[in-house]
Amino acid sequence: MSLSLNTRVLVAASAVLFSFFGLAGFTLENIYRDTVEQNMQERMFGHIYALIAAAEMGDDGRLYMAMDVPDPRFSDPHSGLYGQVASNDGKWVWYSESMADMTIPFPYKLPRLAQVSRQITTPSGHRLYLFSYGVVWSDSPEPGQAYTFSVAQDLVDYDAKIASFRRSLWGTLGGVALLLLALQWGILRWGLLPLKQAARELHAIEEGVQTRLQGRYPLELRALTSNINALLFHQQEHLERYRRTLGDLAHSLKTPLAILQSAAENREGMAELPAVVAEQVERMNQLTGYQLQRAATSGWTVLSAPIEVEGVVAKILAGLKKVYADKGVRTQVDIEPGLEFAGDEGDLMEVVGNLTDNAFKWCKSRVHVRAHSKAGPRAGEQDLFIHVEDDGPGVPPEMVRYVMQRGRRADTEIAGHGIGLSIVRDIAQLYGGTLEIGESGLGGAAMHVWLPAGPKG
Amino acid sequence: MRVLVVEDELRLREELAARLRQEGFVVDQAADGEEGLYLGREYPIDVGVVDLGLPKLSGIDLIRQLRSEGKAFPILILTARDRWQDKVEGLEAGGDDYLVKPFHMEELLARLKALMRRSAGWTQSELVFDTLHIDIGTQQVTVDERSVELTAYEYRVLEYLVLRAGQVVSKSELTEHIYDQDFDRDSNVIEVFIGRLRRKLDPEGKLNVIETLRGRGYRFALTPTAGHRNT
Repeated sequence: MSLSLNTRVLVAASAVLFSFFGLAGFTLENIYRDTVEQNMQERMFGHIYALIAAAEMGDDGRLYMAMDVPDPRFSDPHSGLYGQVASNDGKWVWYSESMADMTIPFPYKLPRLAQVSRQITTPSGHRLYLFSYGVVWSDSPEPGQAYTFSVAQDLVDYDAKIASFRRSLWGTLGGVALLLLALQWGILRWGLLPLKQAARELHAIEEGVQTRLQGRYPLELRALTSNINALLFHQQEHLERYRRTLGDLAHSLKTPLAILQSAAENREGMAELPAVVAEQVERMNQLTGYQLQRAATSGWTVLSAPIEVEGVVAKILAGLKKVYADKGVRTQVDIEPGLEFAGDEGDLMEVVGNLTDNAFKWCKSRVHVRAHSKAGPRAGEQDLFIHVEDDGPGVPPEMVRYVMQRGRRADTEIAGHGIGLSIVRDIAQLYGGTLEIGESGLGGAAMHVWLPAGPKG
Repeated sequence: MRVLVVEDELRLREELAARLRQEGFVVDQAADGEEGLYLGREYPIDVGVVDLGLPKLSGIDLIRQLRSEGKAFPILILTARDRWQDKVEGLEAGGDDYLVKPFHMEELLARLKALMRRSAGWTQSELVFDTLHIDIGTQQVTVDERSVELTAYEYRVLEYLVLRAGQVVSKSELTEHIYDQDFDRDSNVIEVFIGRLRRKLDPEGKLNVIETLRGRGYRFALTPTAGHRNT
């Protein structure tokens, strides 16, 4: 299945956008969470120090907590901030009043300077952040007496903070992504507008409203649209030629048909009927042959690959050598390596085939085929020259005059041997080139065909 | 000479066959490519006439198939298309010559004879063996510039042997190539033809034109003296 350009670009862009924003969001969220947690840890340390400051070593070598613990939340039941101080020998424990009836699984017996921090959920369902610190009271009468100071903070605030950050983070990112996608979609539609216009115009051409693409198109499309226009022009020309040829053919067949009809109705001339029929059949045959050739000739093709001249010549010579095997013709072929023809292969075959066929037919024993290119009028384009020579009797001057007559309509007078040359001349003219007939150094006829590069106009 | 005619147009095929028979050919007819392929495989064909636009199997494919199976008999392509592209395609596929419709029957016969003669190595239509001249175009036979009158069957036997000069041709091979239907192999008709040919071509018995190889067949024993690729 072929996805539309729109869908392709949108799918690709959303995949990129969402993976980029997803990764960015995930990273930002982690960084924020780390920061908040670090903040909390610092605050907990603060609470621990406040508790340490509130503790006092009695003369009996035991620790007392001052009644007014610095943060009032320690005294307010279920305030969310809880504290506990326990001696490491397990003989003494102080709880903050805020704990009331709660049990918090604080760690015990931490060695000196040891820290423990973790998130827990109490059996009653509170999420707490717990921090404990091991302290040794140095000015106690019993040196080395160790205590574990712990505080716990309810995580409701913390969770709320993270959640709100996450909401605004993902909201913003999602919004930006959607905005970018919408923008992308808009740009794409704008970018593809010329294609839509071209499609509309082609539709109009199909419906016969217009004959070519008229709109102004961006540079990238211009090669395409001008090729389409050239193709359309070519097709129209083709159609025109078909129509003309068909008309010519039908009209030119009327005369022999009329002759046949009158011959068939002429009771006295029955003895001559076979001769008349044979003559008119031959005439009609030549007419149809010539007109078919003309109709099949295509001229410059717009989108076809160039044809290698050497291959075409080799194929035709191989065929002719079979057909004229009796003559034992010696051929010489000089073709510029890699020489190409930018027109229709059938036309090239027609040109080379007719010229070499004549050469084989008329030569005594030698045929020489040459082809080369020369820089044409347009940059980078090469005109094609084909020369076919033989050592036969040459072409009679009246035939040369006859074939070369410009603008001569194909009609009944075409002589058998002239038809091939007429076809070559017509094809050369269709390409804007020429056929010239001269004398060869070999002693016979020399045919020179010039096929200019590139379509005219 | 046995000719295979593959042409789907009934009228043209019948006329071709009639004219070819008149010229002394044994004719096998096919109305489509597949039938043509079958006949080409099963019968000892000497030359083929193949139309390109055939039902079932195109003329081009038929020729390709026959060639790929090693059938080497010369083939004349008949076609209504006279673009060089079509001609070249036919010749590339394995055809030896082409004729564009409509055509003159005489032209077709001349091309067929030329093809057979060429495939036998002759470069002109007059086959020359010293004083014996055989023109396979006009079917004229002369010895010492004196015309020799041969019956149609005598000429067929001579032509077949001459185009295989130097090779041994069995009696049954001769029978297959000069008679339409299966012929009674025990018949001594071939021997009679050979005997008459010897008398007519060489009344004094000096030349030994046709050798008999006991149990194997006959051989045209003269050596070409002009117009052959080996002369």
